[in-house]
Amino acid sequence: MTEGYEVLAYGVVVSAISFLAVYFLTPAAIRSLVARGSVVQDYHKPGKPPVPRPGGPVLMAGIAAAELVLFAFTMNYGVLAILSATAIAFAVGYVDDRRVMPGWFKPAALLLAAIPIIAFNAHGSHLNLVFGSTFIPLLYIPLIFVIMPVAGNTLNSIDILNGVASGVLAIACVPLLAASAIFGNIYVFLAGLPLLFAALAFFKYHKYPSRIFPGDSGTLLLGAMYGSLAIAGKAEVIGVVALLPAVINSFLFLSSVKRLAEHRQVKARPVAILDDFRLAASKDRAAPATLVRLILADGPLSEEAVAQKIFRLAIFSALLAFATIILQYYFLVVR
Amino acid sequence: MSLALKLFITGMWAMLLAIAAFLVLVVAPVEGMRGEIPRIFVSLIQAVIAIAAVVLFVFALSRLKRAYVNRKLPSN
Repeated sequence: MTEGYEVLAYGVVVSAISFLAVYFLTPAAIRSLVARGSVVQDYHKPGKPPVPRPGGPVLMAGIAAAELVLFAFTMNYGVLAILSATAIAFAVGYVDDRRVMPGWFKPAALLLAAIPIIAFNAHGSHLNLVFGSTFIPLLYIPLIFVIMPVAGNTLNSIDILNGVASGVLAIACVPLLAASAIFGNIYVFLAGLPLLFAALAFFKYHKYPSRIFPGDSGTLLLGAMYGSLAIAGKAEVIGVVALLPAVINSFLFLSSVKRLAEHRQVKARPVAILDDFRLAASKDRAAPATLVRLILADGPLSEEAVAQKIFRLAIFSALLAFATIILQYYFLVVR
Repeated sequence: MSLALKLFITGMWAMLLAIAAFLVLVVAPVEGMRGEIPRIFVSLIQAVIAIAAVVLFVFALSRLKRAYVNRKLPSN
């Protein structure tokens, strides 16, 4: 069993590795991507400036370095399970970054990310449901195959404006890590720290105005790692609550288009760009309802202002997640 | 910040808690049947109940979404 001072030391080391690696490698990645012409246009800005993409490899490098050091410290196979699931999601996203894949590809390929969680037995047999816990040893396996693709694609779907995916994830990570420490174990908590600190370091370059986009490789790895932490940390419901703005965005989009589709495949855009480059809700009846369109229903806003509103919603959801932690702690631990 | 959007999120949170409470009350006691029927059938019963609960949740969420979206985006 790891002592308190060791936990603190390991936590500081893995957090520093992931943060510093992403913080210092990203500028080099930006230069390299620009030199190779790996850029996409940012349609929400005057002149549609080119922005390098994907930032996923930098995030993967920072997180992998930290997780491998943590594994060397602890020899805990749960850490390897989380890292492997994250790496598979990164590979799936990287394929999607390099070539245009059909809408079903990401959800289907992300099923593979569930395998390390099961193979390393990083999951439990109980599902914590706030007011109690259910023993579902057989049923939990298919549930993992549901959680991993959903988590990856949910975060992928919120990558809509500068900084939103990394910012929302960093906010949602705080209650998830707290829940993992309380209901899971300290190794899951330690394994989750690199996700939070990598996202924070990446946010410096991803926030408005973005100097790099994470790409599918970045968002899928962040989402899948979040999902694997929720599973290994026995904080499945809390993980959903903390990520509610992204969940709502996914749900709104899917219930509007009624199929698995990439945003680029939807002809009617949910958001229009005005002459002054403010964003406005589309009046097209065929346009899908999305979180951004609902935010803009009150009137046009700048891209930065919309992102700020999404961050405030993410903070609100994080507070609801903490309320859920208190409820779950009362019903599972105190009673 | 849009109060309506916060209320929508709070409504979704309340629905999630309601489903969680339902699953604790209904799915967990099925485990008690393990002595009478094989584990695989216990899991199947639990799965059917859980899927039904999730379908109900999605249906209720769709109604909530339709009411909210129709109010915010009258063109839809």
